[in-house]
Amino acid sequence: MEKNGIVIGLECHIQLNTDSKLFCGCRTQAEEPNSSCCPICLGHPGSKPVLNAKALNYALQVALALNCEVNKEFFFSRKTYFYPDMSKDFQITQYEIPVGVKGHVALSNGKRIGITRVHLEEDPAALVHEAGLGASNFSLVDYNRSGIPLVEVVTEPDLSSPQEARDFLDQLTTILSYLKVYSPSSGTLKADCNVSVYGNARVEVKNVTGKRGVEKALEFEVARQKNLLLNEREVVRETRSFDEKSMTTKATRGKETEEDYGYIFEPDLTAIRLSTAEIKKMKQRLPELHAAKSKRFMQEFNLDEYTANVLARNFTLGLLFEEIAKQVEPMIAAKFLTRELMAVVNRSGLDLNALDLSADEIASLLSLLLDRRVTEKAAKEAIIAYLTKGEKPTQFIERQGLAMDLQERDIEKAVEKVLAENKKAVADLKTGNKKSLNFLVGQVMHLTKAKAEPRLVQKIIAEKIKG
Amino acid sequence: MGEGLSIKQFVTEVKKGNISVLEHTEKILSEAEQSNSQYHYFNLIAREAALKQAGEVEASIKTGRNKGMLPGVPLSVKDCICVQGIESRAGSKILSGYEPLFDATVIERARAEGAIIIGKTSQDEFGFGTFNTNVGIGFEIPKNPHDIKRCCGGSSGGSAGFTALTKLTHASIGESTGGSIACPASFCGVVGLTPTYGRVSRYGLIDYANSLDKIGSMGKTVEDAALLLEVIAGYDSNDSTSLKQEKDDFSKIEPSKLKIGIVKELFENCDAPVKKECMNAIKKLGAKTQEISLPLNAKYGIAAYYIISTSEASTNLARYCGMRYGLHEKLEGNFNEYFSKVRSNGFNKEAKRRILLGTFARMAGFRDAYYLRAMKARTRLIREFKEAFSKVDVLANPTMPIVAPTFEAIEKLTPLQQYAMDLCTVPANLAGMPHISVPVAMQGKAPVGLMLTADHLQEKKMIQAALAVESACK
Repeated sequence: MEKNGIVIGLECHIQLNTDSKLFCGCRTQAEEPNSSCCPICLGHPGSKPVLNAKALNYALQVALALNCEVNKEFFFSRKTYFYPDMSKDFQITQYEIPVGVKGHVALSNGKRIGITRVHLEEDPAALVHEAGLGASNFSLVDYNRSGIPLVEVVTEPDLSSPQEARDFLDQLTTILSYLKVYSPSSGTLKADCNVSVYGNARVEVKNVTGKRGVEKALEFEVARQKNLLLNEREVVRETRSFDEKSMTTKATRGKETEEDYGYIFEPDLTAIRLSTAEIKKMKQRLPELHAAKSKRFMQEFNLDEYTANVLARNFTLGLLFEEIAKQVEPMIAAKFLTRELMAVVNRSGLDLNALDLSADEIASLLSLLLDRRVTEKAAKEAIIAYLTKGEKPTQFIERQGLAMDLQERDIEKAVEKVLAENKKAVADLKTGNKKSLNFLVGQVMHLTKAKAEPRLVQKIIAEKIKG
Repeated sequence: MGEGLSIKQFVTEVKKGNISVLEHTEKILSEAEQSNSQYHYFNLIAREAALKQAGEVEASIKTGRNKGMLPGVPLSVKDCICVQGIESRAGSKILSGYEPLFDATVIERARAEGAIIIGKTSQDEFGFGTFNTNVGIGFEIPKNPHDIKRCCGGSSGGSAGFTALTKLTHASIGESTGGSIACPASFCGVVGLTPTYGRVSRYGLIDYANSLDKIGSMGKTVEDAALLLEVIAGYDSNDSTSLKQEKDDFSKIEPSKLKIGIVKELFENCDAPVKKECMNAIKKLGAKTQEISLPLNAKYGIAAYYIISTSEASTNLARYCGMRYGLHEKLEGNFNEYFSKVRSNGFNKEAKRRILLGTFARMAGFRDAYYLRAMKARTRLIREFKEAFSKVDVLANPTMPIVAPTFEAIEKLTPLQQYAMDLCTVPANLAGMPHISVPVAMQGKAPVGLMLTADHLQEKKMIQAALAVESACK
């Protein structure tokens, strides 16, 4: 048992971002309900599944990236139960031998979390309750979701706090994004959360949506269980559901024993066989993942660990950084991206992957800043415009007239004029009055309509006074 | 017009313009309709669609565009095979009103060669039977064309019955899970050909037990059945279990006397007259023979077959719950209550029995002892077959241990006794081996069939031997 007495294990279901469904050619992205379905994903009699090779490849990549042993032969099974969202009243999933087993993932603090198994399965249809669950006296079924590929990742009960569970999901989704098999904006993540405290009964909170949902559900559940024990009451082994509005869990009605799904081998699909060489090749082809990339950033660009982690955790950000670092000082680029750019992303709730940012544009802006041809304030404004409105930074600077494109000669002229018109301030400055310098700079800025770089103005004034 | 012609002869006459496809289609539709009130071979006669198709084929022949192998050949199709827009119920009330949105691959292929689909034939509900007496609620039981007191055999009973009854050129697409092509072929005195598992695409087949289901052909002669197989066989990317095999000219095979293995245990358990007729047929053939023993298949075949087939069937039938197609009821209660109501009213007794059996066999706690053990046994039984085929080319045994029983006799059988009737057909079906039933004699009013089994993908040998048996028994 963990030190704090909390034991958590997760079963995560993540939609893979293939173009078509797991066993038919229907699109995975569709707006209109029931517009992307066919006899196969509707389970019509006579239809047969055909495995989507891409989805299989994605699941294999996930298993390998999570350091799993990939099975050389595996197959699909039927999990049979009756529910209105099931087009066949059985789900094609994996049971005895999944894609991969015995893997592990490191949390951000380095703690290793065991991965029990990784398997591939189909999503059921979506039930829609128009007036809200409980209030509707009927349900609608949207089969667009029926047959979308899901990868299930089951952890060992190695997590010891809701925060660790959240951290695990962050690591997991980062890896999936790196593999480009998951789109956080369109693909859903759901988890069944198993939690027990101080060695008491295990409670399962089923079907929690999203990373934050998992963290909140677990926080509530841990508090609830501890509270029960504090009041010398028993924690009963049960299945609970999570209500996102109230952020609480409640016991689900129905059976508390294990459901019997009567698994059989899926006889419409053949076993998948892989050679050791094929598995090895696939492993070699995996992209560099975020942990490795972060280390490399620290070494290659001399970045601190925090900055390197922030850059590496987001695949797009890391890529952007490496491109920009080819053109401008890497430290400056790293600071700008992790602070200024990510501040805008986070504040405005943007999805970096969906933005399609140009490294060249950002590099140009940074060059202007380094050359002191724009102020930091102007650069910030430009990046906000770029991220929120898509206006190119160089265009923005140009349009807003923010470029400090005055020649030194013009600034000198302005300085000379100001010095000539403010004899008293010049005299004060010569006696060492710093306030006079600020005043003089301000006058120059006023005269140049703020297009001069203040530090340059200061420098020129100092030179003139020394004479 | 066109009576007594083989498919090849018929096609030649059609291509010459001596037979009108439209007239022939009209004639066979009328026969199907008129005989149905007495014999009940069809669950549906597709008059309109058939005549439309016939018109198109006729037109293409007149303009010389028809290059097909089966122009104008009328085909009946077992009800469990999907035909686009034609109610396909697999003999079950629960699929009332289900009109598939697509043609099964075999239908698509047959149509492409100019065949005319005339209707959906009677079967045991979802294939669950040996005598075609386990029909769905509201369906009629087909009668044996040689003696209406007797059954047709099942589960492709309507296909066999009509093939035997009509004098017109006709063949049928049947389906076998544990013997559902061979058995009715034997009882009705026609040829029933079941190919290697995976040789013919199952896309569009309403499943009974997917790892066992095989679509096959039924005809008046071995040649007719082989020709139809040639048309429907071949790899199909829509069926993941379909085998990547080159197309074979099954219709051009010549008879040949191969070495025949006489399966000891499968003869031992047959009625004496059946045994005698089958031995006679082999004698007339004059081929080299060797006695072969398949003790494991004889002992465990039926048990393994019924466990696997009901396990798979019970999952296949889960989808029939009145939500998307087929039988609907008034929406009342929660989903569980509604599903139960639809399923209670839609399935007949044997379907319910097999759902219960299959669900039990795969339940946690019993799964290891039944389902998984049966799957392991199956591997062992296949090995026993493979050993036999290292000694002989083709195995021979009576198709059924008895001739077609009367309905009166069937009523006295317990379910277990009925299952035991599949003794001879189950082993080849469980092993996925191609097999064919050829009529060899009459026992009074009832035909006797000899079953020939070949190794995986050795349909050619099987057809060679079948042609030889057929000509020896003429």
